[in-house]
Amino acid sequence: MAIFSRTPRAPLEYSRTLWMRLWVGAVMVFLYAPLVVLMIFSFNDSKRNVVWRGFTFKYYDKALGNDVLVEALVNSLTIAALATLISLILGAVAAVMLWRFRFPLKGAVDGTISLPIIVPEICMGVAFLIFFAKWLEWPTDLIWPFNLGAIIIAHITFCFPFVTMVVRSRLATFNREQEEAAKDLGAGEWAVFRDVLIPHMRPALIAGALLSFTLSLDDFVIASFAGGPDTITFPVKVYSMVRFSVTPEVNAASTLLILLTILLTAVALKLQGVKAIAETH
Amino acid sequence: MDLNELLKQNRGRRSLLQALGVAAVGISFGGLAACSKSEGKKLANGEEAKLNFYNWDTYIGETTLDDFKKSTGVEVTMDLFDSNDTLFAKFKAGNPGYDVIVPSNDFVERMIRADMLEPLDHAQIPNLKNVDPAFINVDYDPGRKFSMPYTWLVLGIGYRKSKVKAKPDSWKVLFDSPEYAGRIAWLSEAGDMFRLYGKYLGKSVNSLTPAEIETISAMMIKQKPNVKKFHEDDGQDLLLKGDCDVVLEYNGDIAQAMVEDDDLDFIVPKEGSQLNSDTLCIPKGAPHPKNAHAFINYMLDGEVGKKIAETILFPTPNLAAKALMPDSYKNNQVIFPPADVLAKCEYAKFNEKLQPLYEEAFTKVRAS
Amino acid sequence: MAEQDWKTNKRVFAAVSLPTLLWTLLFFVIPMAIVWFYSFGENKGLTEIEFSGTLENYKRATEFLYLGIFGKSFAVAALVTLICLIIGFPVAMAITFASEKWRPWLLLGIMLPFWTNLLIRTYALMILLGSQGFANKGLEALWSSASWLKTLVGMQPLPTWEPVQLLFNNFAVVFGLVYVHLPFMVLPLYAALDRLDRSLIEASLDLGAGHFRTIMRIVVPLAAPGIVAGVMITLIPALGAYLTPDLMGGTDSQMIANVIERQFKKANDWPFGAALSFILIYAMFILIALQSMRRKVPEAR
Repeated sequence: MAIFSRTPRAPLEYSRTLWMRLWVGAVMVFLYAPLVVLMIFSFNDSKRNVVWRGFTFKYYDKALGNDVLVEALVNSLTIAALATLISLILGAVAAVMLWRFRFPLKGAVDGTISLPIIVPEICMGVAFLIFFAKWLEWPTDLIWPFNLGAIIIAHITFCFPFVTMVVRSRLATFNREQEEAAKDLGAGEWAVFRDVLIPHMRPALIAGALLSFTLSLDDFVIASFAGGPDTITFPVKVYSMVRFSVTPEVNAASTLLILLTILLTAVALKLQGVKAIAETH
Repeated sequence: MDLNELLKQNRGRRSLLQALGVAAVGISFGGLAACSKSEGKKLANGEEAKLNFYNWDTYIGETTLDDFKKSTGVEVTMDLFDSNDTLFAKFKAGNPGYDVIVPSNDFVERMIRADMLEPLDHAQIPNLKNVDPAFINVDYDPGRKFSMPYTWLVLGIGYRKSKVKAKPDSWKVLFDSPEYAGRIAWLSEAGDMFRLYGKYLGKSVNSLTPAEIETISAMMIKQKPNVKKFHEDDGQDLLLKGDCDVVLEYNGDIAQAMVEDDDLDFIVPKEGSQLNSDTLCIPKGAPHPKNAHAFINYMLDGEVGKKIAETILFPTPNLAAKALMPDSYKNNQVIFPPADVLAKCEYAKFNEKLQPLYEEAFTKVRAS
Repeated sequence: MAEQDWKTNKRVFAAVSLPTLLWTLLFFVIPMAIVWFYSFGENKGLTEIEFSGTLENYKRATEFLYLGIFGKSFAVAALVTLICLIIGFPVAMAITFASEKWRPWLLLGIMLPFWTNLLIRTYALMILLGSQGFANKGLEALWSSASWLKTLVGMQPLPTWEPVQLLFNNFAVVFGLVYVHLPFMVLPLYAALDRLDRSLIEASLDLGAGHFRTIMRIVVPLAAPGIVAGVMITLIPALGAYLTPDLMGGTDSQMIANVIERQFKKANDWPFGAALSFILIYAMFILIALQSMRRKVPEAR
């Protein structure tokens, strides 16, 4: 592949043609302009996102001084971190199962595992509400972070299928001879898994982690149903702020979250390098 | 893959599943019990110093919760809901641990009927004396056995003065005229919409028949092309951003917006309108009922009520608080519309039979 | 791919299958099964639901009114998918043929917005599209400069600018959904194009076919699996979209997920909401089944 992209021949270098560049540029503007405007207006000294009235940090002060908002952010980040961790383990293990074994009812198992991807959120929210509150009578007066347990479980349920999807396609490119070779050299199942499979899955695991983290931070329907009295999450708070028009504070809080996303991406890049991250999705 | 098949198999294994579930629950509870909140310091009333409050956003004074902690030592955790429906849906599976909730009048009725509310002990709420007597014997909760009034509100038309030719003093402007085509916003709440149309047609908000719902649907479908948005109680935002010029909203919401933009105004149409009242209630199964009573009593205090009213600018049924407010609040015709107008307004009753009809008819209106 | 039979290595199979299977069973199949049973039940009073085995909810869900909403949701989702495909295909091409140095950064550029909170992205778009938003301000500036130019050459100025309605209508819903779902489309397209045998394209160009013809005749057919994967991965979430039509839509922009949501909340009719949900899930199943029937698609990366 590398040979081709270095060939001096122009015809295949579509990205060098002017209209292609314009098109890609326009799409990037389309994707980023709203976010940039939102971030700029978080510094605007006016309650409306309409006219620029001068620079201020006061909405950051307000957002960070808003106890409920900060609590919601801490809860959401905790939920996302724990849900991501467990989703990675479950998702990777499920991917290995589906990739390596042939077993009865495999199609049904495969389908059921990916089902959470397509079920409407509200339906899952109600399902968890009934399940936790009526069926399990899950206690809601636990200490932090155990009070977030129900939401974390719910999030893992819809996050790990995405991890499975990503890891599985990465495994499809795995050369089984490596595994055989390791076994010939006397490595046990666990050693092969740890020293051969996991390194191969690593980029997919990082991509999957980013995906789970995002999905968990995105959800507000399920969290508002599965949660208890002291489990307010960031999207639940932001949603009601948008509803009840506390606008510049929403901008400030959103900007902080966008910066966090960029930071996480940067960490992932540092861990894995831009190429590996970008090539697994 | 076929989900039906899948579920059938699972149904066949139901007993196994339940056994599994029970086993898993047994294990997790063993572990979870250990993580239960350790008994914190007890108050004189025998309860731990905690309270779980389920409220609307921007619906409390800026320092109210901190002040309450200072005066009683009870730490309030506030969670937010965005509509009465969310509140009700969540409580349908049982109280997840809230002590005080803020449902509106028709939902108080609904929750009483669903046996979700704890009767209030008036002996623990001496500040009941501050409440306007007109708010004690209300239809939805005679004698205030289950709820204490927190605010009241009235629906009307919020508008941008520079963009209307005359005061929009009739529902006709919103419901039955192309005059402000493309600049109108309605509420997305089906029941409210049908009841207000009823008001426009000269009927009581609580006496609509299925045939009238049919007629009103047809009127709505006719007017719909002129309407820009069915908003979720954020009509004041649409006004402020200039997206709409005449919106159906609550007086308090517009009063808040008028602080920022003096080109806005609010009017209760001459045909009369619908009143609402948000109330403080204790749901069944509340873990800290005594603290909850103390909190409700605190919220009905004059000084506290004043601070809340200053922030949220909704009409307060608390006479002691109102007396402490400046004239700009007391004499504000938006917050307190004239008595002759209010005389034509009614509270909506919860009607189990009509609610689904409203919903389906409104879905039809949206789809047409 | 040589899959192992599970019997040959039961210990490892148990280790990799039990955690997922138990989790899925306990925390997904059981909760969903409860809702599935609800769809055959009816409301008894305000809070109780009785499992009566009735098909009434499904009968109601297939009435013309609701079928129409399903149809409309599908049409909107299909339109969104088509627009994403048209916008996304050239982008995927450009990324595929970009230099080694640029390619990962371009990909990252597409992915980064996808990692940003959905609610925040929708909200950001609303700021831009409002009557007083930047999109309108930009158009107004163009309009008035055109008007000024006209007066400059002695003609009547244009009539005063009326803001264009960009928000709270079906256009806004489609626009918002395209904005949110574009990365879903670009990534699988890129994955497919990247695997393409480039010598075929070169051969086509050498033999005198133009670029456009080469793309239509060679690239598109070869990338078909990726296109199908991209279409599916865009269409399915778009079909279940809830937030975008709710926040950005106008009076006639409801999609099926909004109707489902109202059954669970406002209408307090869980059995009916459950029936609508499962019809939506079945519809998605049919789509997926159609896709896998059409062609055994190599897994999208």
